[in-house]
Amino acid sequence: MLKSPASDSTSAPINRAETKAKIEASEKAFSLNAKDKYYALLFLGPSLLILGIFIFYPMFKTLYLSLFLTNTVGKPTVFVGLSNYINLLTSADYLNSLAVTMVYVLAVTALTIALGLLLASLASKKIAGIGFFRTLFSSTMGVSVSVAAIFWLFIFNPSTGFLSLISTWLHLPAIGWLTDPTWAMVAVIITTVWMNLGFTFLILFGAIQSVPTTLYEAASIEGASSRFQFFHITIPSISPTLFFVSIVTLIDGFKSFGLIDLMTKGGPTNATNMLVYRIYKDAFYSGNFAQASAEALILTVIIALFTLLQFKVLEKRVNY
Amino acid sequence: MSITLNNVRKDYDSETEVLKDISVEVETGEFFVIVGPSGCGKSNLLRMIAGLTPITAGEVKIDDTVVNDLPPKARKLTMVFQNYALFPFLSVWDNVAFGLKARKLAPDDINARVKEALKMVNLTTLAKRKPRELSGGQRQRVALARAVASDAKICLMDEPLSNLDAQLRIKMRQEIYALQRKLGLTLIYVTHDQVEAMTMADHIMVLNDRHVQQIGTPSEIYQNPKNAFVAKFFGTPQINILPATRSADNNHMINVSSDLQIILSEEVPAEKLQIGIRPDDMQIRLAEGVDGNAVVKNTEFLGDETIVYATLNSGNDIHVVMTGKVDFRNYEPIKVTANSNLMFFDANGKRIDISKEAYVHA
Amino acid sequence: MVKIWDFIKNHLIPIIAVVVVAIGVAFVGASHKETTAKAGRTPIVFWHEMGGPAEQALDKMVDNFNQSQSKYEVIPQYEGAYDEAVQKIIQSHGTSASPALFQSFDISTAQMMHSKYTTPVQKFIDEDHYDTSDISPVARSFYSNKGQQLAMPFNTSQPVLYYNATLLKKYGITPPSKSPSYSEISRVAKELYEKSHHKVKGMTMEIYGWLLEEALANDKTKLINNGDGHQGNPTKINVNNPNTVKFLKWIRTNIKSGDFVNYGSGASAETNEIAAFLADKLGIFVQSSAYIGQLTTGNKNKLGISYFPHPDGTKANGVGIGGAALWISNDKPEKVQKGAFEFIKYAESAKNQANWQVATGYLALNKNSQKQKALQNLYKKIPAARVPGEQLASAKPNNANSGILMEGMQLTRELEETAMETVYNGGNIDGALTTANKAMNANLTTTNRADKK
Repeated sequence: MLKSPASDSTSAPINRAETKAKIEASEKAFSLNAKDKYYALLFLGPSLLILGIFIFYPMFKTLYLSLFLTNTVGKPTVFVGLSNYINLLTSADYLNSLAVTMVYVLAVTALTIALGLLLASLASKKIAGIGFFRTLFSSTMGVSVSVAAIFWLFIFNPSTGFLSLISTWLHLPAIGWLTDPTWAMVAVIITTVWMNLGFTFLILFGAIQSVPTTLYEAASIEGASSRFQFFHITIPSISPTLFFVSIVTLIDGFKSFGLIDLMTKGGPTNATNMLVYRIYKDAFYSGNFAQASAEALILTVIIALFTLLQFKVLEKRVNY
Repeated sequence: MSITLNNVRKDYDSETEVLKDISVEVETGEFFVIVGPSGCGKSNLLRMIAGLTPITAGEVKIDDTVVNDLPPKARKLTMVFQNYALFPFLSVWDNVAFGLKARKLAPDDINARVKEALKMVNLTTLAKRKPRELSGGQRQRVALARAVASDAKICLMDEPLSNLDAQLRIKMRQEIYALQRKLGLTLIYVTHDQVEAMTMADHIMVLNDRHVQQIGTPSEIYQNPKNAFVAKFFGTPQINILPATRSADNNHMINVSSDLQIILSEEVPAEKLQIGIRPDDMQIRLAEGVDGNAVVKNTEFLGDETIVYATLNSGNDIHVVMTGKVDFRNYEPIKVTANSNLMFFDANGKRIDISKEAYVHA
Repeated sequence: MVKIWDFIKNHLIPIIAVVVVAIGVAFVGASHKETTAKAGRTPIVFWHEMGGPAEQALDKMVDNFNQSQSKYEVIPQYEGAYDEAVQKIIQSHGTSASPALFQSFDISTAQMMHSKYTTPVQKFIDEDHYDTSDISPVARSFYSNKGQQLAMPFNTSQPVLYYNATLLKKYGITPPSKSPSYSEISRVAKELYEKSHHKVKGMTMEIYGWLLEEALANDKTKLINNGDGHQGNPTKINVNNPNTVKFLKWIRTNIKSGDFVNYGSGASAETNEIAAFLADKLGIFVQSSAYIGQLTTGNKNKLGISYFPHPDGTKANGVGIGGAALWISNDKPEKVQKGAFEFIKYAESAKNQANWQVATGYLALNKNSQKQKALQNLYKKIPAARVPGEQLASAKPNNANSGILMEGMQLTRELEETAMETVYNGGNIDGALTTANKAMNANLTTTNRADKK
């Protein structure tokens, strides 16, 4: 260590100065100097700009619009405070949309998970030719919404569709798959579940495959039936994945749009008028941007709640 | 409960034969160790006894019942896996109780058994922990407790100590042994570690190259190996195996790599053979004049003994264990001799029976 | 500083270069649509929503116009569905991207009027002394307000009733008259259903607000006050009136007797009902006259067409039109607007309207078109194709059959359709209409408040 000439006589104060310098240096390590700030700006700038233009501005604009009435050309004219929200949350029509969305989302999630799990556990069995079924089960992953919708529209066609042919053949009463409010919901759920199944299957299959086989071997030696093994080994082992897939399916369900537009346009009698579809129609069909903005914000809050739930639970369960 | 294997064979397909003609009898209450190098099929054999892997031919009997086609749970045994196979999402208590719950035992019974099992492996205080919160040794104990709680009289263990450090391994070895004796378990224990086999087994089965090499007590295996493989597998440091030939002049004399000579009272049975000498059955002294037959390569001092590595004039390497501290310098010429405790093998490594009285060391 | 420069040189510049190139490529890719005219011509950007064969016919008409003169060049651009195009037109107004001339559908008329984004074509009609009397009055009245022509009707259709004449003959059923009553249609539908041993469904009526509005128009009933909006901004809607009930009760009767089949709403409903009709599984349906082409090509059966049905005991008032009109934006220079009107005049000519009907099924608006060879040939080939034009010509315009001039018609239609769906699925007629009426009036109040009217 080099000592400055002055430190020879009075070493104590110098030491203190050194200590101070060290502290300052270490503080500096946590604060930014001019050059660092320049770099920080350089790196963050573009993303902040993009976020600002494409995320924050539209969000604030949406919030702003939702507090007004918008006129013919979509300009806010009359400030109405929260009355757009109040009107929505007290309108039977909107509450119906909320309810059908919930039914749809919950049914789609439950069925997707149940069927995905069933297929995944079937595909995990070591049977001859299982590779073919694995490919088959995951095949809907490559199908786009429009293709799926057209495919199922053919099947649901009341005169020439596959299902109507079957019911005629069996002398069963014809089902108005897309014209009866209850069945339309069922039809949309079936189509969505069918579409989701490929992805869900693949994820759950991967999760099941990664459960150590010795766990099953140990259990089968200990006398556990395969049913017991499924519920007491497979399910708990893949529960984080299961939860992840559920939330993704749930949020996807809330955002379901293309399928509704192509299959039912929200009908019949608003039976499939989901929140997102409603927003689209209110904004781009009816030009009611104020109400659509309010609906968009309500939907955002709902999805945010589910996302939050996901993070909370996943945080807790990440290591089981 | 006893276990009998009769001519058990395992093929994966017509090309790959994994095990061939395995026959053995394991008696009730016996600590039976299956040992062999990795890839010899020993874990497979254990899994076939457990019923996790089907056998291709032969029969597996438990207490005179053929169990070939019985599922694992019907075989009334328990198994400890190398990776312990603990359920990561269950507490220690629930891990131990798992099999009991699966078999739908009465809750009181389950409680009593789990409590007893945990007590036996000293885990009572950790009952609420998850496996990830335990050390390696503690996890091992949970696996043991599970075996104990199951109350099965046959226990299979697949390299249970291989994931532990050396110190812990010695400790757990003793615990497993004590447990086996206390519960009177018929224990089949698979390991690649000859020390574990020697220290714990009542009987050892040595497996190599798809075949049973030898079955016997530890001392039989050590003192009377049936072939060079078994001789080499047991004992540290390894036995010295040296090539030897029958002397052309004297068919009672064996030249051991031209450095040592052995005279038999009977005729040497083969032209080419191998001689096995345990490292502590050899002696070394400094060469006097030109009588040296080897050169010191290196010495390792271990405290109570010293291992001397040397190269015979013929070029064969040997190692010799000497008591206490011995001072040889590297490259020092030495004279190596052996006492009369020799083993004879034919060119293929098969033991040749020559009685001790039959040879006179030169 | 040197380091920063190095960083910029080594990383930032390449990144920016890549981004710029990518954006450039995207723009080039997106701007394949021509927006500039040949030298010396004034470009007139024309947004339309005609897809399929109609787009080809329109492009041809535009080409012919461009060749017929050298002052203007009309540049057609397809903008997708009607509903979405309305918002595109409104939101782009005043920017360089906006069109000079655009096609906008019937129910957006009030919205376009209130936006004040267009120059009423009346201005150019007056300046040019253009004689509109040849153009269908009932179509013109749809796009006019207080005597002022706002836009010119272009592609125009009317709902008509289609029936399978061959099937009716096969089962010995008397076909409906030219202007049938509700009960007449019920009779034919029921007979067909019964005589075919339930193999053929009698009839359908798509869940479509337009058809409900046309039923009211034909029954001389106004949906909203102030003369369906033609005499002043509407303030009150009355969908729950006896004549709506009459219409829905008629359908309910047919549903109950089993001969009615429900295909729902939207494009898929139309596809399905046409497919069923062509497959001899459906005898009668009411739909836009624009479907004639689709119903005659490849149809082995004889197609029958009659007017939109009217209630028993009243005379048909004549139905209003559907389709779209041509509008002139007011955010373009006078010269451009004039050019746009030149194209409108060209499009409305007898010859072009005749060709348009032959190519698309939309009705020729110019009464002189009927004498054109193209149309004469069509009628020779398909006699029934004459009927929609006759229906259009027979209607005397009044407030009830000149469309509903009210903003928010898209939403109103949705509510009408929801009410129809409720009734079709067995719901209470009065309840469904009360619900719809309440929601419609609430929307109207909000709209008027937002527009400060």
